[in-house]
Amino acid sequence: MRRHRLIIASLYIGAIFLGLGSAWLWLTRVGIAGVDAGAWRVNLLAGSQSADAYTRARIALGAVLALDRSETLYYTTQRDDRGEPLRAECLYKIEGAPPPARWWSITAYGQDHFLFPNAERRYSVGTESAQLDSDGQFSLMIGPLPANQRDNRSWIPTVGTGGLRLTLRLYNPDPTVQQSPGALAAPSITLIGDCP
Amino acid sequence: MNRLRIHISAAALLAIAVHVLSVWALPRLIMDRIITLGGGDAQAQSGPQASTGVYLPPPTDHTQRRIVMPSPDLLYATCAFDLREGPLHIRMDASYPRYWSIALYASTTDNFFVVNDRKNLGESVDLTLIGPRSTKSAAPGEILSPTERGFLLLRLLVNDDPAVRAVAEATRRSLRCEQPAPDRDPARAATPH
Repeated sequence: MRRHRLIIASLYIGAIFLGLGSAWLWLTRVGIAGVDAGAWRVNLLAGSQSADAYTRARIALGAVLALDRSETLYYTTQRDDRGEPLRAECLYKIEGAPPPARWWSITAYGQDHFLFPNAERRYSVGTESAQLDSDGQFSLMIGPLPANQRDNRSWIPTVGTGGLRLTLRLYNPDPTVQQSPGALAAPSITLIGDCP
Repeated sequence: MNRLRIHISAAALLAIAVHVLSVWALPRLIMDRIITLGGGDAQAQSGPQASTGVYLPPPTDHTQRRIVMPSPDLLYATCAFDLREGPLHIRMDASYPRYWSIALYASTTDNFFVVNDRKNLGESVDLTLIGPRSTKSAAPGEILSPTERGFLLLRLLVNDDPAVRAVAEATRRSLRCEQPAPDRDPARAATPH
């Protein structure tokens, strides 16, 4: 009888852990649904009162206090153009046309969702800092910072190993992008050289 | 065996309920922590700033580990509010010449209101936020919050220019999140609401 009760109790305790564990896995392993533009994905329900429970929970975990799409579009990625995971120990070149918005920026985050520590205090490149070439295109590098690039404002240093997340923010995007976020000519993300 | 099947079925339903409840509760728990810490931060500031209801976090850099995915291009200010204490009056000098926005978030994390430098009329921000239990409808200039508790986030676009940062700093220091003292009229206090 006692053994029977123990089995029943274990069953219910197991059910609680199964419920909690499945929720955690679903929120952290399943990607946020959204619209793709190249390697980037934008969730159109971030901050929205129309968001479903799963979207709201994922956004709370990874981007709490995001603005509604009427103000800002957030394109994020953890993969390069080949579909391979971005890694902090690798070097990437990001290039393209300045996105059509009042102002935009590309910011690099570690897998913990926070900025990479660096003495140069460079964490992003955007409207005011991007260097444009003769074709009006910008390019920047993201990866471990060589000593001879310490003054390169188009290089966002990364530190250590592990996952790398990029966020492309478009504040007050142009109406064409507002209406069709997937049509953005998103910056390309190219692995440079070999990755250790 | 029948009783075991019943227990298995009940356990399965329990797992589903815990799963659903967890997903529903997670953003509310995260937001509750943000609101609670935000209120404490505002009160813990020294000098006159402590009475403004506004917390001025340090400029964003890699040492900021409280809110995920912070933007290093923005200077922030925050207010936590509880509308059970009455309407929230939001005021700020709006003459900052670059992008700024004030966003309001419900305790569910929903961004239910935003105003920026292009939408705001005039040289100042003057808004009143009322709670969902308010007995009156929102008047012009008033905002109805879907939840009693929530959070305000001011964003100011900055760069490395010290002059720009100085003006941004002055702007965020002009932000006020104030709730008037409760009405102490005994007649009103006796009226159920």
